[in-house]
Amino acid sequence: MAVAVLNPDLVDMVRRGSHDFNASACMNCGACSAVCPMGIQLLPRKLFRYVLLGMEDQVKENTETIYSCLLCKMCEVNCPGGVHIAENVRSLRHFINRQVFRL
Amino acid sequence: MTMRRIGVYICHCGGNISDYVDVEKVRGTVESEPGVVVAKTAMFTCSDATQQEMLQDIQEQNLDGLVVASCSPKLHTFTFRGVARRAGLNPYEYTQVNVREQCSWAHTDDRAGATEKAIRLVRAGIARTGLTVPLDPTVVQTVPKALVVGGGIAGLRAALGLSDIGIAVFLVEKEAQVGGWVAGFGSMYPHEKNGQELMAHLKGEIAKRSNITVFTKAELVGKAGSFGNYQATIKVGGGKAGAAPAAAAETIQVDVGSIIVATGFDSYHPEAGEYGYGMEGVVTLPEFKELLDSSGLGAGEGRGNGHRDGHDSGRDDGGAGTALTYKGRPVRSIAYIYCVGSRQSRDVPNANTYCSRFCCNAAVHTSLEVAAAAAPRTGGGGVSAGVRQYHLYRDMRTYGKYELLFNEARDKGSVFLKFGDDAPPAVARDERSGRLLVTVADQLTMSTEVTIPADLVVLVTGMVPRSNEELIKTLKLPVGKDRFFNEIHPKLRPVETVVDGVYICGACQGPKNSAESVASALAAVTQSAGILKKGFAELEPLVAKVDPDQCTWCGKCQESCPYDGAIRREQVAEGQGEGKVTGRVKGRGKEVAVIDAAVCKGCGGCAPLCPKDAIDLQGYTDAQIKAMIEGLAKEVGQ
Repeated sequence: MAVAVLNPDLVDMVRRGSHDFNASACMNCGACSAVCPMGIQLLPRKLFRYVLLGMEDQVKENTETIYSCLLCKMCEVNCPGGVHIAENVRSLRHFINRQVFRL
Repeated sequence: MTMRRIGVYICHCGGNISDYVDVEKVRGTVESEPGVVVAKTAMFTCSDATQQEMLQDIQEQNLDGLVVASCSPKLHTFTFRGVARRAGLNPYEYTQVNVREQCSWAHTDDRAGATEKAIRLVRAGIARTGLTVPLDPTVVQTVPKALVVGGGIAGLRAALGLSDIGIAVFLVEKEAQVGGWVAGFGSMYPHEKNGQELMAHLKGEIAKRSNITVFTKAELVGKAGSFGNYQATIKVGGGKAGAAPAAAAETIQVDVGSIIVATGFDSYHPEAGEYGYGMEGVVTLPEFKELLDSSGLGAGEGRGNGHRDGHDSGRDDGGAGTALTYKGRPVRSIAYIYCVGSRQSRDVPNANTYCSRFCCNAAVHTSLEVAAAAAPRTGGGGVSAGVRQYHLYRDMRTYGKYELLFNEARDKGSVFLKFGDDAPPAVARDERSGRLLVTVADQLTMSTEVTIPADLVVLVTGMVPRSNEELIKTLKLPVGKDRFFNEIHPKLRPVETVVDGVYICGACQGPKNSAESVASALAAVTQSAGILKKGFAELEPLVAKVDPDQCTWCGKCQESCPYDGAIRREQVAEGQGEGKVTGRVKGRGKEVAVIDAAVCKGCGGCAPLCPKDAIDLQGYTDAQIKAMIEGLAKEVGQ
């Protein structure tokens, strides 16, 4: 993978209005991916890491994945870090709507 | 020579010895040695039951010598000396034979050989014991005063601790003012204590004590005398350029019972080019803290002027002039690189292989200060104007209670990236934007290589030992491989040095935070008080002794002696001299060597050099060593 130049403002761009994004408690354990009924590989731990670091291109490239989520919260009830995963995904969808779909 | 009555006890050590050494065979072989009255084996000679049995044997069998063949003398010398003492036997009539570390453990593949070696070692111990004489510890009167070298947080706290228990203190500080590093610190973790305030408080307390004398711009340049009664020479003033005009150096002599060394540390100074050091915008953590304090963002700012700021003034106001800038440019993104100058690979020349222990906490705490000062401000579309902070670490060591700092930093938006030992981050400058770019493979993102645009790169630098060559020479302080001062035992004797009455504390013995420095300073205070409050100290009598009958003073012993003042030249006056040897000294009026038992360490360096064979080491006399060699060399079958 080519070296990704980080955008330090990405988290602030995702956080807008009432949409919060908080994944600081994520320790990359993978419990979320293991229980995901959609078998989504990327979601949510890698994705959240991309957001936290500011890897904007990687986030935008995964628009399909972000919209594949059922918001069933299986991951959220199993998250040992107590991360509000579904809320974070909603905020990300708003971000994608604005930044990719220009809605 | 009258026949000695010696008791020999051979330990199984619960199998540690008996698995590889046939202890019964050893016992059976040595019980016929001349002078042996009792020869026994025991599962654990150090157990209460066996100690009691020895005590009974000594008293009932009227023993005048004791040999215990067990582990290293480091472990149980004092245990068995105690047994002898309780039984009424002079403790120096006992010999420890090491048949564990130096025999069973070393020869686990050769039971017969190990058994034979044990027999030889025990025979040597018996031979030595056959020639022991009762010895009494040297008693020295102690002076109830102490010298503290270094006026940082450890030195000042030690001085106060000593003062509180009635020990007068001389405090020597190299700089023009006491206070050390901490006096320059703003807010410190974990509870936002302010360094300037802490030190102002300590200095105020010191000023109130009439029994503390502070010398600034001063150095310890000489030490004479012996344990409990040292004569220290202090050079005051005259040293540095820029001092008061024509300030001549003055030399002061003080008598002290103990010396506490608290000379602290130096901050690691990165090499030019190390993680981009030398480029504009690449700073060390201390430099960054200074920047924070001077721009009014550090929590410490303003408190030195005496007004209490509650908690958050100067942080939350968000007004003009408080945004973090560097060389006039706003700072929006900071990358911290950890372990700079610490945990270096052994391949680096003079590598600092140790962890500096305080820096993870200090850096995480600093990032919290930045986060608080640049808290997101509402307005203009709700996008915050916060500072984005990236922490590039190898291992996060916010140990103990400080773990909470790490959690808080994460919650406040700091992002942590882990890099491998073999893949350090690289710092470069983007020629177009002028911004710094830090490239690192983040192990927490599947080792994806990322480049962080940063306005500031903060190198989290560790602690290095100060160069204290003169002090090391003056006090003969032992220095470790890492170039910090060495204690005798890191766990059990953490502030004592091999030089009796000289203690070390604070960061001069290894990286410590201020709380740990103070804890060790107070440990040094109690150790000092232990000898100084009693009024006297007992020293090992295992020292050199000169036979004035033989000595003709050639000075060879004094030349070879590593301890100042241990051997002096003296005229034998009428009825005087080292009379213990003969009672009468031949050739009154002649000059002989006299050994100060309080200064001599019993190293034995002088004894073989004496052309007249006039020097013997008590407890290890030539006769004893020869007897031991014979014991070792004797055929085992005999």
